[in-house]
Amino acid sequence: MKKKYIWLFLLAISFAACKDVLEQEPMATASRSAVFGSEKGLELYANSFYNDLPSANNIHTCDNVSDFGARRNAPAFLQAAGYGPTTSDVTDASGYALVALGSDWNWGWGSLRNINYFIKYCNDPKIAPDVIRNYLGLARFFRAFFYFEKVKRYGKVPWINKPLDVADTLELYKTQDPRTLVMDSVLADINYACANIKATSDGTRSLVTKYVAYAFKARICLFEGTYRKYHTELNLQGTANKWLQDAADAAKEVMDKGGFKLNETGGTDLAYRNLFITQAPNANEIMMAVVMDLALSTTHAANWYLTSSTTGVRLNFVRTFINTYLNLDGTPFTNNPDYKTMVFKDEVKNRDKRLKQTIRVGDYKRINAGNQVVTGTNFNYSYTGYQPIKWCLDDVYYDSRDYNINCVSMFRFGEVLLNYAEAKAELGTLTDADWALTVGALRKRAGITGGLSTKPTVVDPYLQTTYFPNITDPVILEIRRERGTELCLEGFRFYDLMRWKRGELLAMEWNGMYVPELNVPIDVNEDGVKDVCYFKTTKPSPSVSGVLYIDVAPTISGAANPMRLKEDTKGEVTWLNTIPRKWEDKKYYYPVPETHRLVNPNLVQNPGW
Amino acid sequence: MKENLLNDCSIRTVEKCISRITRLGKWIPLLLLLIFPVLNGFAQQNVRISGKVTEKGGSSLPGVSIVVKGTTIGTITDLDGQFSMQIPQSAQTLVFSFVGMRSQEIPVAGKMVFNVTMEEEAFGVDEVVVVGYGTQKKANLTGAVDQVSSEAFENRSMANVNQGLKGVLPNLNITLGDGKPNQSPSFNIRGVTSIGQGGSALVLIDGVQGDASLLNPNDIASVSILKDAASASIYGARAAFGVVLITTRNPAKEKTSINISSNVTMLKPITIPDYVTDGYTWAKYFANSFVAWEGTYPTAVNKTLKFSQAYFTELERRHNSPLATDKEVEIDPVTGEYVYYGSTDHYDLLYKDYEIGNEHNVSVSGSSKTTSYLLTGRYQGQDGLFTWNTDKYQMINLRSKGSVQVYPWLRIDNNTEYSNRKYHNPLNVGEGAGIWRNIGDEGHPLAPMFNPDGSLTMSAAYTVGDFWYGKNGYDFNNKLFKTTNGFTAEFFKNTLRVKGDVTLRKSDNREKRKQVPVPYSNKPGVILYVGTTTNDLREIVTETQYIATNLYTEYENTFKEDHYLKLLLGYNYEESTYRRVMAQRNGLIFEDAMDINLALGQSIQTEGGWDKWNILGGFGRMNYSYKDKYLFEINGRYDGSSKFPSDQRFAFFPSYSAGWRVSNESFWKVDPRIISNLKIRASYGSLGNGNIASYTYSENFGTSQSGRILNGVRPQYTSRPTVLPEGLTWETATTVDFGLDFSMLKDRLVFVGDYYVRNTFDMYTIGKTLPAVFGATAPRGNYADLRTNGWELMVTWRDRFTLAKKPFSYDFRFTLADNRTEITKYNNPDKFLNDYYVGQIIGEIWGYENEGFFIDQNDIDTHAKQSPRFLTTSSGKIFPGDIKLKDRNGDGQITPGTNQVLNPLDSLKNPGDRYIIGNSAPRFMYSFNASADWNNFFVSAFFQGVGKQDWWPASEAEVFWGQYNRPYNKLPRWHLDNHWTPDNPDAYLPRYVSRLVNRSSAILNNNPQSRYLQNRAYIRMKNIQIGYNLPKGITSKIGAQNARVYFSGENLWTWSPLYKRTRDVDIENTTASDQLFTSGNAGDGFNYPMLKSMTLGLSITF
Repeated sequence: MKKKYIWLFLLAISFAACKDVLEQEPMATASRSAVFGSEKGLELYANSFYNDLPSANNIHTCDNVSDFGARRNAPAFLQAAGYGPTTSDVTDASGYALVALGSDWNWGWGSLRNINYFIKYCNDPKIAPDVIRNYLGLARFFRAFFYFEKVKRYGKVPWINKPLDVADTLELYKTQDPRTLVMDSVLADINYACANIKATSDGTRSLVTKYVAYAFKARICLFEGTYRKYHTELNLQGTANKWLQDAADAAKEVMDKGGFKLNETGGTDLAYRNLFITQAPNANEIMMAVVMDLALSTTHAANWYLTSSTTGVRLNFVRTFINTYLNLDGTPFTNNPDYKTMVFKDEVKNRDKRLKQTIRVGDYKRINAGNQVVTGTNFNYSYTGYQPIKWCLDDVYYDSRDYNINCVSMFRFGEVLLNYAEAKAELGTLTDADWALTVGALRKRAGITGGLSTKPTVVDPYLQTTYFPNITDPVILEIRRERGTELCLEGFRFYDLMRWKRGELLAMEWNGMYVPELNVPIDVNEDGVKDVCYFKTTKPSPSVSGVLYIDVAPTISGAANPMRLKEDTKGEVTWLNTIPRKWEDKKYYYPVPETHRLVNPNLVQNPGW
Repeated sequence: MKENLLNDCSIRTVEKCISRITRLGKWIPLLLLLIFPVLNGFAQQNVRISGKVTEKGGSSLPGVSIVVKGTTIGTITDLDGQFSMQIPQSAQTLVFSFVGMRSQEIPVAGKMVFNVTMEEEAFGVDEVVVVGYGTQKKANLTGAVDQVSSEAFENRSMANVNQGLKGVLPNLNITLGDGKPNQSPSFNIRGVTSIGQGGSALVLIDGVQGDASLLNPNDIASVSILKDAASASIYGARAAFGVVLITTRNPAKEKTSINISSNVTMLKPITIPDYVTDGYTWAKYFANSFVAWEGTYPTAVNKTLKFSQAYFTELERRHNSPLATDKEVEIDPVTGEYVYYGSTDHYDLLYKDYEIGNEHNVSVSGSSKTTSYLLTGRYQGQDGLFTWNTDKYQMINLRSKGSVQVYPWLRIDNNTEYSNRKYHNPLNVGEGAGIWRNIGDEGHPLAPMFNPDGSLTMSAAYTVGDFWYGKNGYDFNNKLFKTTNGFTAEFFKNTLRVKGDVTLRKSDNREKRKQVPVPYSNKPGVILYVGTTTNDLREIVTETQYIATNLYTEYENTFKEDHYLKLLLGYNYEESTYRRVMAQRNGLIFEDAMDINLALGQSIQTEGGWDKWNILGGFGRMNYSYKDKYLFEINGRYDGSSKFPSDQRFAFFPSYSAGWRVSNESFWKVDPRIISNLKIRASYGSLGNGNIASYTYSENFGTSQSGRILNGVRPQYTSRPTVLPEGLTWETATTVDFGLDFSMLKDRLVFVGDYYVRNTFDMYTIGKTLPAVFGATAPRGNYADLRTNGWELMVTWRDRFTLAKKPFSYDFRFTLADNRTEITKYNNPDKFLNDYYVGQIIGEIWGYENEGFFIDQNDIDTHAKQSPRFLTTSSGKIFPGDIKLKDRNGDGQITPGTNQVLNPLDSLKNPGDRYIIGNSAPRFMYSFNASADWNNFFVSAFFQGVGKQDWWPASEAEVFWGQYNRPYNKLPRWHLDNHWTPDNPDAYLPRYVSRLVNRSSAILNNNPQSRYLQNRAYIRMKNIQIGYNLPKGITSKIGAQNARVYFSGENLWTWSPLYKRTRDVDIENTTASDQLFTSGNAGDGFNYPMLKSMTLGLSITF
């Protein structure tokens, strides 16, 4: 009987509990000191910066808003009342409506916080100072990248250089800083990166190195220099040359010390295209790329975008742009008096060999189930006839989804040469030797025989009238031509037009190949099979098997037909000029999204919006 | 299925045994039938007894059962109430029982003649309800507690308990999500809890936190829900939003019984959508809807089929004048590729006509003076719904429960449970989402399943063909082992009791996913693959070890006859440790490889995981009542949790409740036969919400694998941590509850009703929106409050009478519950509609008012301009037949305004032409249960439903929108004659245009509008059953105490206003797509169908 009360007593004292038992530490995550206390930890964190770079799809669709091509629909950005401060937050960046590279493409600031947080805490004395500087250099490279995109897009933005606290109200709610302040800060960042990033080469072409930083510096400085020069309303012309000189110097640094050269492998017929269709980045020329590997489950969707009627915007080159490809002898194609009425199969002959490495012509072959099949333009996807093959792999297997395994370059030597040439030309210091080293070399690779070693002296009237009426310097004109033919679909065009103050070109008519007559099937690539036939209202009968019949009547079922011939029964194809596109100068800057101005009323809306 | 990687030998042995038992299952009844009569034959010397049983008034009672206690020996009285039987000499006690009468136990004591008068039994007087750490007489309850007994689950076939519990208790809300047998949704009590940390009801199984979906439904003795803070607060911070207490059965008293039951079930989807499968008709609508939006003719049907005008012309020709030479699959003379002219019904290919489930249960129970035991075992299986690669489901449950009375004052108990559940879930590698979305996107009627050479078509490889190929899917295996050891000691003449227990629970969850490319052909002799970016195996192993211990003491006494006092004081500690390992690798050396050793690729991913928390609490309760009239209860718990920072770790949560039994007052003169009980209750309590992720208060740098290849690999990376909140404190939920209980007409009618207001304060929500340059979402904090109020009631009616000289008893039970939640504080001063705002009723749907369709160009020109976010064609041009929205604010245009609630002081802040068109939260949840018993027959029916709820079929809800979503989606048959044309201007649907639902800025995408808002109220016959208890005369011959056969049906009938429009989706399937593949929504209704079933069962008790 007593025993049970002893039990009771024992139980009573076991009620006494201790509190410390409730201390639990996370085991599956690291602490700040663990991350910032070792080089491994810094590398682990620095890997996150790369996530904010543009994706492969982002890059190859970026020229969807440009003057290069006609597409399924008019970009909202270019339609009257299609875009504004209240809609800018809800439009996607997948190449349909607007231009942006990288994450945080809208008024987003997350990646900046990520960088600033790193910069704030990357100071552990246990780590060697040069290692710290190397990683700070990387961080500042990415901060420059971030702000460069922001300035291109919005002009003026707030400059923030630390991870903000809730209590930092002055900075949180400040207005935009002047363009000069932000760009000087960007320059300071990229200079620091150039000086402190230790790696001088990266065999995998996937990492930021010292020379990638220099190449980026050249790109930034050329942009800013030309922007200030041509956008006289900023009243910053006086500072333009300083930026242009920086651009030339940075490019020269890469040219002299970077260890890169133009790719010549593949000869004049293939050396250019090889840059865009190989899985491993071309070691000669590509400095940094978004790398794909099926074994690592990374692929992109260029084929899918370029060969589907619904997935992409069906971007196809307009004839106005195709006309800028030179003849093989280096003379302008448009010098030919009959160029306007030349049909597709003729006009693509004897041209700068980059043309046939950029669009489907002649004997372009695709691979279907292992067989090589001569394949011409597919008019189901192509409105104009000039169907891109840049980034597009030949095997049709890649067409049906995001299967592409070719790398997509972000920095390549060809662009560095063009940046150097343009900076020098704008400074007025470009020599014949500079020309031969840059544009000349690019043209030589493309099989062009004439005008490789001396600067051009004659203005091409087509180029000047159609594209750059205010430019009288034949060198600058030719360099601008070269940027188009060399860099098309690599995501540069929109901001090239912005810095040259040629936004008007975005409203250019969308035209296609010349159609000499109605109702006659055309064999565009001379493979003996008729491809397409244009008719008005009544389809010719009997129809030829395999031919796509396209109605170019003014109306179809009572609605205006977007597909027409320029002279009604013949002439260039025109597409979607029924939906007007309009350029207004306010569009040199995107509007600050209205929702953000509601949160911070100190933000000033860009003029005109 | 291949054997899994078990390490634990003992568990493996048990598993083998049970699988043998289940295989032997069908023979066991037969064996027992043979053995028992033989055993009876060996019984010792018998004595004959006889007698008569009468009712109180003197009339004789036929059908009364008389059994020798502890045996199966018995008989029943004849029409005159007489009986006569042989009993063994050793017989001690006779048990007289009759439905509706109080059972009587009469000692034999050498008597030969027994004349017994039976008394009518009052209903529910001594009903006992399970509450926290104890039980309580229902009559003395002061909190809001509801309970159902095992009857709610009897004779029902269900894969898991959650399916059976739905709708049973008022304001216990279970959203199943879909019809998968392994669903284990969280339980909600009384509506929206917190928009901060969230929180659902705490589920305790025999006092320990657990997952009801792994429980054997036959083990359940009762399910009780503690709804108000006063009842729940004894469980502290985990119980902020109510507690579900599931109690398992205890061993039978003083007799041995063996129960064996088996059932077989036929299951099929409640609805299968009725889509047009005729290839030509489908293609016609496809092309029309495509052209109407794009303005150009389609060149392909999504990714898998080419399309052109010439092809359509040929389809038309075949439709109008078919030739004998037409084949379903032709070969294009130019390309050599297959061309298809099929009319394929993908849903017909996908599902079997029905699947078969079966279930076997064995339970052995018994006791002696000092020991008692209960062993139960169950096997439940379903052979899967899909024709190929089917979702096979198997579950095994074992339980042993027993106690030993060590000393007269001390009893020790053990309760051990093991369950093992396996489920195979097929997947599609083509696009990864569930099969339903894949069929929507690529299951085109035109493409048949196979090419003439037997290879799959591309369309099939994206959809059902992947299942046919049969190699891709998830295999889930969930194992649970739980054991509780406890003791009960009594002191001071049983006025002081001490109880303690320790539980160890170990749950192991394994998930294996395999993805290999699926071959197809688009050209004779050429094999291509869908899903080439896959080809991998992934295994995830998670283990949770959980330890819980309780020690509590209870003192109960009555002083001076009128003062009843009960005190409870206790201590509770719980600790949970979670570990996870994930490994994924690609490059399987052959497509049937099932072990990661055979994955040789370089895409390797590994992940760990760790989460440990513990809680510690001291709790107490005092019950006091005076003359059973005035009832008081005070609960309190001092609670600590490792999830909070040290300065906030402990908090005290008290609660109070009181009851007044008006009917026990001396002034109460109402005849107890009319109103037998009347009680008024009230309670108030405040509880902290402990539902918070661990380590929320430290800067954590997690690692992930980069999606980008850097230096040849996809490296791990870490990045900035979440901005830490400052000065955080607990969310608290405060509940006020008023209750009314009364019983009438000799307790035939019982009413229980409650009204409550629950305020959740200091919810941990996102801070005030900061300028974007902050670069992170604003740190969370205790910023928001909400108020949920509601009520619930339950009315039961029970009665019995004599029908054809046999007793007929029946009962009805009706429940009705409602709740509504309003945000009372939130960081959105400008009331933007994309976030919560003060005054918002949770679930409200903002939308536009439809004015029908545009009649003609003049109508379009004169009507208020619809902004570019209401596209009806890609070019933005509006045509007659397009949806016309009303300019409610009269500003000449239709816009969403500034996306704000109208500010009466500043009309610049406004919702444009939007208003609240409906609400997606369920209201007026009800259930109705009726059952009756007569002459060994029993029938019952259980209905359940929702009185009011709106559904806006969101983007991608193909099941509702068909080709208005995407042109290549399915064509619901009800659309055919129901879309606007000049000849059919009064149709329900607009001009036939694709993309209206799925393209951003299209008129039906994220623009809810009155015309198409669906009413998804419903009533469902959840269960119906009819059965027969074999008469004692027959059962005793086979030595059984009881045997019954029954038929039971689940979900056999449903009605909803939605069904006036479409029956293509079951009302419970209108929810988000299969959550296995995305935590988002790939389209409402793209999920595993809810099933209906019919079951035949047999149960015998020896």
